[in-house]
Amino acid sequence: MEILVCIKQVPDDSVEIFLNENTQKPDLEKVTPVVNAFDTYALEMAVRLKEAAGGEVTVLSVGDDSVKNSLKNCMAVGADHAYLCKLDDYNETDTFTIAQSLKESKEEIEKQTGKTFDIIFCGKESTDFASAQVGPVLAEMMDIPVITGIVDIEEKDGGVETRQETEEGYHVISCQGLCLVTVNKPKYDPRYPTIKSKMAARKKAIDELDTAKAGVTVLHTEKVYTPAKRSAGVKIQAESAEEAVAQAMDLMKKAKVF
Amino acid sequence: MAYLISEEAQDLLSDVKNFCDKEVVEQCKEYDVTGEWPKELYDKAVEQGYQALEVPEEYGGPGLSRVDVAALIEQMAIADAGFATTISASGLGMKPVLIAGNEEQKQHVCDLVLEGGFGAFCLTEPGAGSDASAGKTTAVKDGDEYVLNGRKCFITNGGVASFYCITAMTDKSKGVKGISMFLVDAGTKGLSTGKEENKMGIRTSNTCDVILEDCRIPAANLIGEEGKGFIIAMKTLDQARTWMGCVSVGIAQRAINEAVAYGKERIQFGKPILKNQALQFKIADMEMKTEVARQMVAHSLQKMDLGLPHTKESAIAKCFASDIAMEAASEAIQIFGGYGYSREYPVEKLLRDAKIFQIFEGTNEIQRIVIANNVLGKF
Repeated sequence: MEILVCIKQVPDDSVEIFLNENTQKPDLEKVTPVVNAFDTYALEMAVRLKEAAGGEVTVLSVGDDSVKNSLKNCMAVGADHAYLCKLDDYNETDTFTIAQSLKESKEEIEKQTGKTFDIIFCGKESTDFASAQVGPVLAEMMDIPVITGIVDIEEKDGGVETRQETEEGYHVISCQGLCLVTVNKPKYDPRYPTIKSKMAARKKAIDELDTAKAGVTVLHTEKVYTPAKRSAGVKIQAESAEEAVAQAMDLMKKAKVF
Repeated sequence: MAYLISEEAQDLLSDVKNFCDKEVVEQCKEYDVTGEWPKELYDKAVEQGYQALEVPEEYGGPGLSRVDVAALIEQMAIADAGFATTISASGLGMKPVLIAGNEEQKQHVCDLVLEGGFGAFCLTEPGAGSDASAGKTTAVKDGDEYVLNGRKCFITNGGVASFYCITAMTDKSKGVKGISMFLVDAGTKGLSTGKEENKMGIRTSNTCDVILEDCRIPAANLIGEEGKGFIIAMKTLDQARTWMGCVSVGIAQRAINEAVAYGKERIQFGKPILKNQALQFKIADMEMKTEVARQMVAHSLQKMDLGLPHTKESAIAKCFASDIAMEAASEAIQIFGGYGYSREYPVEKLLRDAKIFQIFEGTNEIQRIVIANNVLGKF
């Protein structure tokens, strides 16, 4: 099974980020760039599918030269090939344009290598802008089915069977032929790169593609601001559940929730 | 990040930190209480290849400089000194072979480590601590074999090693010149492990007796020549001591990290306690000494990489860093106040962990003798 995984490099989301008063943009200067967490889940799921069904995993990203390091990190945890679609101001580019660049890149990779992808993985959203649009927009542009927010996948009858997480439980969705999936947090964690795989990945080449659709962004950010701080919640401590519920009801009545 | 390391080591360092944050820090709190050797954790570390960091590139290792490896080992020690000791002691176990072994022996131990095995270095005996020459373990040649008898104690990785480098007397009449070094694979008949120490600190590291009862090994397992065992052991310690300095620096750095995090949060007299200059000075002193210790470790390792003499530098690195680890851990407890004395908080463990680094691989008194001898020379 030939698998394409689309990844985005984002600022490390485990550190607190502040607004730069001068630029009125998030201050990211000292924040380490990492692979978007949902994309790491997508890659791990793709690599597990490859290990079960055979084939190869190719990773693709749109971004500047610094993204090569993230792509190498992907090669250290199971990806076989990596491509960078060069676009320096990728963070100023809207999701539609990114999706279009990914579509062109996918076609270019297929042309260059002669392979045809059977499935495309994306994270369900990025941890920086969290629009959750790129995956579905890319599928729409390619006119292929999309299954969003999956937490498991396996090969079945030449196609795939996926588990999509919903608020009520799971949907089991099967698909034959080329499709795109977006990935939510599965039950397992992505594997760690080993010293050996990391050293080997650092030596591998990242192929560059000239397929970016620059300068066609139609969405523009009007304002960036820090979200208002939430006031501290109320902690109810009571002897019994009944008493705790009664206190909660009382508070909600006072707040005119009812 | 105070070590000046290569770009690839910086990359590996972030992976090691991520691994330690997720798999080591919290887990080792529990193992510190139970004293259990956390096999599951070490299996994961082996999967990452951490035990093989010191395997030379020509024998299949990652080919990092010693300072690069030090940055990674320090990161492990920040998470848990026992964990870092186990990993580092594997390098120690290999050293006698890498220093004096033949090609076949070198490839053999490197293969064992690359496959996920640990090494153990067996010098200390119940009656031979600082006075390594007082060892009673013997090796008697019998045809194409040596027969080893004796008891080694306080052996790091003793119960979990895949191979052992063991000193034994081949000629008692010659004193230290009668000591030889032998390579013994785990599972060899006659080699067994005895009492496991219930230690004060580094409780995630295995320390036990190694017993030799008519343990027959091929004569080809002699490392170097007969009578060279003491010199090989001293050369081994000359290198290994710096690594214990490196782990000590990790303990000191953890003490700083914990003291700073707590001191910014702890409010007394209406302000964080670290707003008091008296405590800021404590942090400054901890930082100064830790950084100096770290740079001494780096200097010693760089001399090793360059093939320059490093006996004095290694002794200084180990002695100073372990003294500083004790001091930093103690100061961190002081900054935590009463909470620092409680086992619910992370700093009392640092003091327990730090203490052994003033003792093993040559007590700090022995280190001072080594340093003094190097300064004074013969007179």
